[in-house]
Amino acid sequence: MAAAATAGSGTPREEEAPGGEAAASQAQAPTNAPGGARLSRLPLARVKALVKADPDVTLAGQEAIFILARAAELFVETIAKDAYCCAQQGKRKTLQRRDLDNAIEAVDEFAFLEGTLD
Amino acid sequence: MASSSGNDDDLTIPRAAINKMIKETLPNVRVANDARELVVNCCTEFIHLISSEANEICNKSEKKTISPEHVIQALESLGFGSYISEVKEVLQECKTVALKRRKASSRLENLGIPEEELLRQQQELFAKARQQQAELAQQEWLQMQQAAQQAQLAAASASASNQAGSSQDEDDDDDI
Repeated sequence: MAAAATAGSGTPREEEAPGGEAAASQAQAPTNAPGGARLSRLPLARVKALVKADPDVTLAGQEAIFILARAAELFVETIAKDAYCCAQQGKRKTLQRRDLDNAIEAVDEFAFLEGTLD
Repeated sequence: MASSSGNDDDLTIPRAAINKMIKETLPNVRVANDARELVVNCCTEFIHLISSEANEICNKSEKKTISPEHVIQALESLGFGSYISEVKEVLQECKTVALKRRKASSRLENLGIPEEELLRQQQELFAKARQQQAELAQQEWLQMQQAAQQAQLAAASASASNQAGSSQDEDDDDDI
């Protein structure tokens, strides 16, 4: 864990937050709501493929996939905010990998991610 | 449990979608590339974790299909209970949209016209449209023919007047 944190502490290649915005519009889920508003910001087909990648999973309803995608969005928001708090504590304006490492270590619910850091 | 096999390595959430979500969450913050990559991986792991837990709950309740309730229970049991209220809200929106779609598709059935009759009416309309198209084409062709004839007449009269003018010039030369 510490190794991962130090690995991320070098000068990282930075990317402005709006980066990839043009491509993001193509990666969105299909428009579900009337009037063109999107109910999901993640592509549902990809979420479904990830669920189906588990050999134990037999069937998953479309609504289940939908709320799983929404939960994943909330998760990304949570982890990003937590990591930003860590960056602010370090008096840095750029969110780095070590901030995510620290956020994952700090929150018990994120314990399942510790294998991802290796 | 949540780790993906070598075959699924290419199965991740698109980076562009994650970038947009990060930008919306932290609008004026710069994010390092390796941090973005880690967020993508974390999101993928989260989906694996929740779906796996929801599947276990589904199996325990002796159901074959994972339902929204199973996902909600999985979120609760894994410590993500704070997401549930918002997830339920969005689920309600989703159901509303689905209901509107169903209503729209059932409007035809509610007309009370048999399918055969609708089909016959459609064929009649197509036949009429084809006939109108043919008539229009014929009219256009006639107009083109008339225009061509007029052009020929105009050309003929122009050449005739040219000839008349040139013969008069010759007469004038003879007088000299």
